[in-house]
Amino acid sequence: MLTYILRRILFMVPITLAISLVTFIIIQLPPGDFVTALSAQMSENNEQIDPATLEALRQRYGFDQPMIVQYWKWITNIVLYGDFGQSFEWNRPVSDLIWERLGLTLVVSFATLIFVWVLAFPIGIYSAVRQYSWGDYIATFFGFIGLAVPNFLLALVLMYFTSRYMGANVGGLFSADYVNADWSWGRIVDLMNHLWVPVIVLGTGGTAALIRVMRANLLDELQKPYVEMARARGLSETWLLLKYPVRVALNPFISTLGWILPTLVSGAVVTAIVLSLPTSGPLLLNALFAQDMYLAGSFILLLSILTLIGTLISDLLLAWLDPRIRYD
Amino acid sequence: MSYHSRHRGGSRPFAACLGVLTASMLLAGTALAQPFSESPMLAERVSAGTLPAIEDRLPSTPHVQEPFESVGSYGGTWRQAMRGGSDNLLERTIGYTRLARWNREWNAIVPDVAESVTVNDNATEFTFVLREGHRWSDGEPFTSADLLFWYESILMNSDVTPSVPSWLQAGGEPVVVTAPDDATVVFTFAEPNALFLFNMATVRGANVLAGSPAHWLKQFHADHNENASQLAQEAGASDWAAHLNAKIGVPASRWRDAERPVVDAWLLTEPYDGTGQVVAERNPYYHKVDPEGQQLPYIDRVTYDVMEDTQAIVLKAINGEIDFQNRHIETTQARPLIVQNREQGNYDLWIAQPAWSNAMLISLNQTHKDPAMREVFANKDFRIGLSHAINRQELNQIIYAGTSRAWQAAPRPDTALFDEELATQFTAFDTDLANEHLDRVLPERDGEGFRLRSDGERFSFDIEVLTSRQFQIDSLELIKAYWADVGVEMNVRPVERSLSEQLRQNNDHDASVWIGGGGYDMLGLLDPKWYMPFEWQSAFAGAWGIWAQDPNDPNAEEPSEAAKRQLELYAQVQATADFGQQMELMGQILDITKEEFYIIGTNMEPDRVGIVNRNLRNVPRSMPNTYFYMTPGPASAEQFYFAN
Repeated sequence: MLTYILRRILFMVPITLAISLVTFIIIQLPPGDFVTALSAQMSENNEQIDPATLEALRQRYGFDQPMIVQYWKWITNIVLYGDFGQSFEWNRPVSDLIWERLGLTLVVSFATLIFVWVLAFPIGIYSAVRQYSWGDYIATFFGFIGLAVPNFLLALVLMYFTSRYMGANVGGLFSADYVNADWSWGRIVDLMNHLWVPVIVLGTGGTAALIRVMRANLLDELQKPYVEMARARGLSETWLLLKYPVRVALNPFISTLGWILPTLVSGAVVTAIVLSLPTSGPLLLNALFAQDMYLAGSFILLLSILTLIGTLISDLLLAWLDPRIRYD
Repeated sequence: MSYHSRHRGGSRPFAACLGVLTASMLLAGTALAQPFSESPMLAERVSAGTLPAIEDRLPSTPHVQEPFESVGSYGGTWRQAMRGGSDNLLERTIGYTRLARWNREWNAIVPDVAESVTVNDNATEFTFVLREGHRWSDGEPFTSADLLFWYESILMNSDVTPSVPSWLQAGGEPVVVTAPDDATVVFTFAEPNALFLFNMATVRGANVLAGSPAHWLKQFHADHNENASQLAQEAGASDWAAHLNAKIGVPASRWRDAERPVVDAWLLTEPYDGTGQVVAERNPYYHKVDPEGQQLPYIDRVTYDVMEDTQAIVLKAINGEIDFQNRHIETTQARPLIVQNREQGNYDLWIAQPAWSNAMLISLNQTHKDPAMREVFANKDFRIGLSHAINRQELNQIIYAGTSRAWQAAPRPDTALFDEELATQFTAFDTDLANEHLDRVLPERDGEGFRLRSDGERFSFDIEVLTSRQFQIDSLELIKAYWADVGVEMNVRPVERSLSEQLRQNNDHDASVWIGGGGYDMLGLLDPKWYMPFEWQSAFAGAWGIWAQDPNDPNAEEPSEAAKRQLELYAQVQATADFGQQMELMGQILDITKEEFYIIGTNMEPDRVGIVNRNLRNVPRSMPNTYFYMTPGPASAEQFYFAN
């Protein structure tokens, strides 16, 4: 087991480096650079900017150097000093910008995750055990609606209703009184009052998918002989269900845990933009548009590393949960 | 001022006012007899002993601001909303302070921070007299030494400013700034720089004041503080010059530090550095008072909610969460919503009159790198034919809900530069006439009726359009069908803005569409890129525009004789101090524009609407709408107030 973990961690080093290089190249692929994006933004507003100023900015940011030199500078600073560079658009260190948004992003993501699990597991189990019952049909019906409605649309509709009929502020996670305040009990309550909208929006799709997966997995398991066997031995129905088939049906969730970690950090970009959430998704998208390459690059690198770590964790969990898995 | 309009139909209120500008002195409001009074918010701080008395905060001769309608009362919050990242709304609203700025009507320059502005006869010397006792928002004195610091340590320091911006140069020489005494600053140019004050009134003038608070900026400057590099390093900047530039720079970076001293009406308390609401509160040292001696601004606080999506800003507006704004909510798509929800949101509408001449200009690149394409695009008959093939009435109905009209790239009506023929030539929808012109250029057609190039291939080209401008994409889809009717194949190619920028900067585009500038006289003067190849953005002849900026650029190409004549005339405009003569010369430039017919115009940009809270007073119900005017800056938000 220990060598298995060590081997997996060792493999991650070259993969991370490869990812960082690919990331950097992809970010440089769009035409132009941050200065082009800046001047494009300004000319879209019919603003003028001196070509000489643009050239000066290019030199200041080192865009006139070859890409490999820029990459080397970036990656050595990260590896040696933990310095992710400076965001051109914000004139602030990249790490500050990401950290600042990470807290609330995690709050939203965890709340969503809990919402999804709390709702999806019981419903999924119920609709598998009571297949083709009224309850199953209702769960299936709402499940498909949840899958089919795009998040951004649900976000817009909910935002419209809460602001129009419930007097809530449009967008954001805080009301005007608390948005710049320090943390206090009142601010936490205020956050809770706003949090349910994004949680529902982000959670519906996930809940629906999870219900379907749970139902399908469990249905497979319920037919298997070991269930009959256990039943024949007189185990109580609930205990039997939770102890064996549900545990096996959980495998797909554990193995997809690796993908949850990066989404926890990036959040759902489109929903976050529509709802103006102060999370990291909109920051990443803006950085990509503005070709703010160190910010975007560091972000993508961070997400990639989290995916790797998440995959590792889910593999370990799976190995621990499912005795059928071998370590080679 | 004697100035005769060149064209029938043009009113010319601007000339008379601006004529006063040359060889004369512009004086702001005079001193008052009655005592000064202040907001209760500040009076509290004075009695608590944390703020000096009003007499010690105001300059000895405050600027007396005549209110638009009535003298107001203190209090309230002006709520706005903007995008995250690099929105310029702060620059347009609380940031509209300069040495001299536009007046509300946009027909003259008025002193703002300066007490007076004097221009010599040939527009080479501009003298600004500052107010005695004027102070920065932190209470430090604001004197000519501050502007000298900007000149010596910011503008002329090649680490901070690698190249002096063109508006601060004349005859290839940068400006020379001197300060004969504490209150006087003189800008001297080697040659006439007649557009200097106009440029000062745009965002450029704000850059000067942002770089002026010497007492604060010196800590970031290596010439004044030996630890500046260390300070920059701690802040994560690459060097001290980058750090300093971030503190004073555009577009949004100077709003990321609430410490920066200003002479604006409000100063930041919550900076624009993330997702939180941006908040500004009244500047206790603001230099303006109303005629009754009340220190401005009337409104206590200004807030900006930072949103990621403009839809959310529209929703905020119709929900009554915005008091005065047009930016982000003025789009054609949002207009019905904004108009319908006036009662619910408790707001009225005001007209944001576009300074843009045209909603969509079609530029066929006459300096195309492919000689075969170039030959066709450069043929005036081809452009005339395509222009006649466009059904502008139908476009108006479908795209602009009937609020627009057929228009070429031309100044708007009611301006001094307006020329009806320039504005309406070739706009008649007539396919026979279109075919007649096109047959002179590309007579051969293939089996599907499309015209052929001389080598027998079908003639086909792409028009690039920004993905962010859906109404232009929709218009182009209609135009594609109109042109197919006369046998010309065009493909609509939506592109992301950086790609579009890159293509045009290198003269690599077939054709592109853009919103047309130059609708107003002032804008025609400052932004003539759609009337002649003036810069690379003049996409109808990219290589010529690049030449006009830098003849040594690898993509530059010597312009036609007519275009060179226009550039010569424009150089004369820059060297002419008299506004009447400037307009006369601009008229000559436009005569050549008319003859050359560089660009195919479609429809005039329709009026936009902004919203104003029904309790907000002193707000004009119509104003020009462009970044050059810095809408709504010149409406003087410091004298807006909420009726109780």
